[in-house]
Parts: sequence; C-alpha cells; structure tokens
Amino acid sequence: MAGRVAIVGVGQTHHTSRRDDVNLPEMVGEAVRAALADAQLSIKDIEAFIFSNMEAFEGIILPDHGMIAEVGAIGKPGLKVTGGGTTGSEAVGEACHLVSAGLYDITMVVGWQKHDCGDATAGISAAAVPTAAKGMVVGAVSEFAKQALSYIRQSGAREEHAAMVRLKADRCACRNPYAHLKLGLKGLEDYLKSPYLVWPIRLLDFCPQSCGACVVVLASEERAKKIHKKPVWVVDFEVAHQEPFSAGSFGDPTGTETYSQDVAAERLYKRNGITDVRKQVDLAEIYEPSTWEEMSLYEHFHFCEKNEGWKLIEKGVTEIEGEFPVNPSGGVIASNPIGATPVIRIAEAALQIRGDAGEHQVTRDVKTAIATALGGPNWTAMFLLKRSL
Amino acid sequence: MSEGSPTKKAEGPEYIRIEFDLPRRYNWSTGRYLGKVYAEAKENKKMVAPRCPKCKQLWARPPSPVCPKCKVDMGWDWVELPLTGTIFQYTYQVYPLWDPHEGERWSNPHPPAIILLDNGIYFRHLLEETDTKKLKEGMRVQAVWEEDYEKRGQGFQDILYFRTIEE
Repeated sequence: MAGRVAIVGVGQTHHTSRRDDVNLPEMVGEAVRAALADAQLSIKDIEAFIFSNMEAFEGIILPDHGMIAEVGAIGKPGLKVTGGGTTGSEAVGEACHLVSAGLYDITMVVGWQKHDCGDATAGISAAAVPTAAKGMVVGAVSEFAKQALSYIRQSGAREEHAAMVRLKADRCACRNPYAHLKLGLKGLEDYLKSPYLVWPIRLLDFCPQSCGACVVVLASEERAKKIHKKPVWVVDFEVAHQEPFSAGSFGDPTGTETYSQDVAAERLYKRNGITDVRKQVDLAEIYEPSTWEEMSLYEHFHFCEKNEGWKLIEKGVTEIEGEFPVNPSGGVIASNPIGATPVIRIAEAALQIRGDAGEHQVTRDVKTAIATALGGPNWTAMFLLKRSL
Repeated sequence: MSEGSPTKKAEGPEYIRIEFDLPRRYNWSTGRYLGKVYAEAKENKKMVAPRCPKCKQLWARPPSPVCPKCKVDMGWDWVELPLTGTIFQYTYQVYPLWDPHEGERWSNPHPPAIILLDNGIYFRHLLEETDTKKLKEGMRVQAVWEEDYEKRGQGFQDILYFRTIEE
C-alpha cells in the first residue's frame, strides 16, 4: 500500500443468538462507542465510514435503516460492502485503501449482523440464482459437507481430528468474554453426541448464526502515532476472486475455494518475503466456517505441508499455548455475526499484537499476525498485521 | 345482539373495491449460453457444454460466454455430455432446514452428488437412491430424464437424478 495505515481502535459487542434487549442500530452503537473509547477519539474525528453487512442475511433489505444516525455518520462520506463471507475484510481493505491513498486520515469500519431477526440459510437458499442452484443447495452447510468429504479423502483426517478442532475452539471461546458459544465441551464423547446436519457435518462442526457487531478505526501513519500508544500496522491486504460452485474447475472437483486460497496466500507471502509462515508469522485468526475447513486452511495458507493440517491440531501446535496459535478468540465456529465476522478476525489479531486480548492472550509474543476471510462467491481475503513497521 | 341495538350502519361514504388479479410475470433470463443448455434439455433431452477454443476445456455448469481460465470469447462450439459416469462424492441431509420456497422444514431425500461423467467432467446433480447405505463412491450411475415435455424447461433439473446402474 502507498501510505502506511494502522489500526488505532477496535470495539465489539458480545456475540450471542439473540439481542432482544436492543434493536439493530443500538447493538451496532455499542461497538462504535467501544472502538471510539479504545482510540480515545470522538465520532467527529471519523472522516469516512465503511459499512459491512451481508444484506438479506437478516431477512430484511436495508438493515442499516436508523443506524447511520445512531452511528453518527450522517453527511459523512463512505461506502457499504456486502460480499458474503468476505464482506468484513473487503470493508477493512477498502477503509485502508482510502487512508493509504491519502483521501482521509481516519476511517471507521462498522461490521454487523443481527441474526435474531432473520435467517442466513434461508437467505442463501431462497435467493440462490434459480437457473444455477435452486433445489441443489442447503445454505452453506452442504457446501462445507462437500469440502469435508474432499478433505477426508485427500488427507486421511478422521472425525477425532474435527473433534479436536472444535474442542480447541471451545476452550478458547470460554476464555473470550465476547464469544457466542461457550459450551464447556469435555471431550470426544460430547462431540460424537452431536447430530449430523448434512453428512459428514455435525452440528458441532459448524459455525452458528450470531448477533453482534465489530468496529475498527484506521488512521494514517502520522495520525496513528499520535492517536494510540500501540498502533497495529496493516502491512498488506490481498483478495482473490473465484466463481462459486463450479465443480471441477481449477483443479477442484467439488468447486470449493481452494483455488482462491492458494492464489491469495501465494501473492501475499511473495510480496512480503514470507517463505516459512510459522517462523515469520506468530499467530493467525482465520475464517473457518467448519472444523474440517480449519484443517484444510492450515494447508492452503502454508502453515504446514499438504495433507498435514490434521497433524497440526493433533500435536497442539495451534492451541493458545502452542507454537503457532490459530483463532485464540474461539474463531467463527464460536461466533459468527457474518458482516462482522472478518472484522472480528482483524480486531482480534490486532488485540493479540497489542497484548490486550486479556484472558485469551496467547503465550507467545505476537509481533506479526495474519487475519483471513472466506466466502461469498468462494473468495479469499488475507491481511498481514505487524506491531512495528 | 341485544334488543335495541342499532341494526343500521352509520351513514358514510360507500367504498368501491376492485380486485386486480392479473398475474405479474417475473422471468429469469437465461442468456444465450445457458439458454442453449435449456433448449437442448427441453427439446432433445441432451446435456451440452461449450468448449473453449483455446484450452479446449468444457465449461458445463454454468456454461460461460468467456473461458474462466483463458479469458477469451468462448465461441459456439458445443459438445454433448455423456450422461453416464461414476459417483465421485455424495452427501445427504440429515437435519431438515427451513425451506424458504415452501416455508416449511424440508429436506430433499435425494442425495446431492458430484458425478464424474465418462468424458472426465465433474457434474453436480442428485442421486435417485435415497437409502444412503446402498451408496458408495465409485458406483456407476446414469441420468434419468423428465419424460413429460411440458414439465421440462427447468434446465439442469430436466434431469431428475442419476440412477445407479449395473454394467
């Protein structure tokens, strides 16, 4: 990026199934105020806003009704991004570009989803392109069932490894005050009791639909150093596009997002001289809609060799106390307010770099982190964050 | 009604109500390439795919006017797909989800599958066999068409499902 950009404030709500106590604008307002408090800024300091929400996943159109006033954005410039799973990372990427290009000094990303007023799976299935997918898709679950089958076939991973991913996520979530599902799972038996949704995806293999919001404030180099004691630098942002559900194209029989994962990772790492991810990066917050996908992502993001993702989880490498922690927040499997989900990945990675993650702060010192997102039409987005330039 | 209650309505304007029950037709345009697939399925019970003039790869689902790989105009070179193949992968729905089309909990009993057609093309469709114990990857399958001409016109869904076959 041309001009340097830093994260100078993050804020989120707690994530949960229902927020009957607040309406949508009020819920989003909580995260905005938290981020402003973290940055010690006033809403008047924010020059432009990028809104991040997957329209129709709440079952309503223009869910930002009433929110612009609540946030304090009336009359300010900005955009709204609505790109499926990667919505939040595209939004943060856009907010970074605006600062990097010198258009604004301070921008704010406002990500949210309130799933107690609508159903994402209904949105996905009802609004599927009728000529392409009607009657063939069951929301995202059946897509990740196909991904799981492909991963099992290729890598030799077993259900006990999926269980390990879930147990790790749950242990982390239980330490994160903002996380949605804190189940206190005891072991493999608890996992095996979980019913199948779409074989071989069990209820415990899959992400929930949550209510929640997450806000990130970004600033130019000069301003960032004055605003926050511990600015977190957004060193690079990469996004790769792909078509959804095209079985057999680009070497993937099931038509998942592995192609865009490979392309995004290769470009990001090459540009930043990263040849050994686990040596040069200290932590990752990845967008893992399912347990099986997490293991696959380890491989496509080069955390390990091909077909060895399940070995990382088996050896405990990616635990909070591990050599290369992945999703110490509990990840998407624990909390998933879709429009906010990738923003949370970035915010959580920034908190870990600052050392401000509290009870779920990882053991090792985090100087460099990766935050990713996946979804929509099989896109992949990746961020590289650093403590110092 | 108790005795003495007013039986006559209060004087007021008389409203005229006209029912407007003309159907409003919404259509989904297939476009030229997908339209060709729909027409071949409905008229000839054939599944076709365009072939890229450069890489020679078939792009079946969806048929793209531009080759996704070479980024060149696809041209108009259509190839008929063989409708026999092997099950590469299948899954099945266990827990019924909300079907927003019907507003009810529903699960399609036919397992969604990826079928490796005999010309090497991966094709997404459903399987006829609903007893998943009888299914195995690698089984031979063949497409079953909707035989009623009037009911065809649903594109890929003019094939009802793939039936397991003995060879």
